[in-house]
Amino acid sequence: MSGKTLTKADIVDAIYEKTDRNRAEVKGIVESLLKIMKQAIKKDHALLISGFGKFEAYDKKARKGRNPQTDETITLPPRKVVVFRLSRKFRSELNQQ
Amino acid sequence: MNKSELIKTLAETNDIPADEASVMVNVFVDAVKEALLNGDRVEIRGFGSFKIKDYGGYTGRNPKTGEVVSVEPKQLPFFRAGKELKEFLNS
Repeated sequence: MSGKTLTKADIVDAIYEKTDRNRAEVKGIVESLLKIMKQAIKKDHALLISGFGKFEAYDKKARKGRNPQTDETITLPPRKVVVFRLSRKFRSELNQQ
Repeated sequence: MNKSELIKTLAETNDIPADEASVMVNVFVDAVKEALLNGDRVEIRGFGSFKIKDYGGYTGRNPKTGEVVSVEPKQLPFFRAGKELKEFLNS
């Protein structure tokens, strides 16, 4: 573990080097890509990126919770959560013997 | 939605050639993969973050046959949805 973090700015730089567009344009297109990805997860409940993995949205039912500080019982509303399942290819790339 | 539909939508939305949209999506995915393969974290504001989790090996049993099998240690990425993505999904 090297402790480094890849950020959106690094991704913009990587794309900038591969295209003839200026950084501002690339930044705008990356934001648009993320927006499309979010909409796909919401609308289709799944976004499949071959060789990488799949983002899946699923429904969590309402459940009873408790505020640990006040001991008050509360009902947590139903909500949607996202999970990432990695593809077989990426899994084997991560775990080469 | 799959990757080719993502590329097509990106090209149409931004009025750019499909080839270029394809390069962009691939560079994006490859950058994320490469970082995770190096054991780095990935943080995409508004979308989410990834980190690699190490799982230790253990000796397990095939529940069907009772056979003893050794499960090797493995590394798997873990994704946490960002605040904006969570709010967007629940709005």
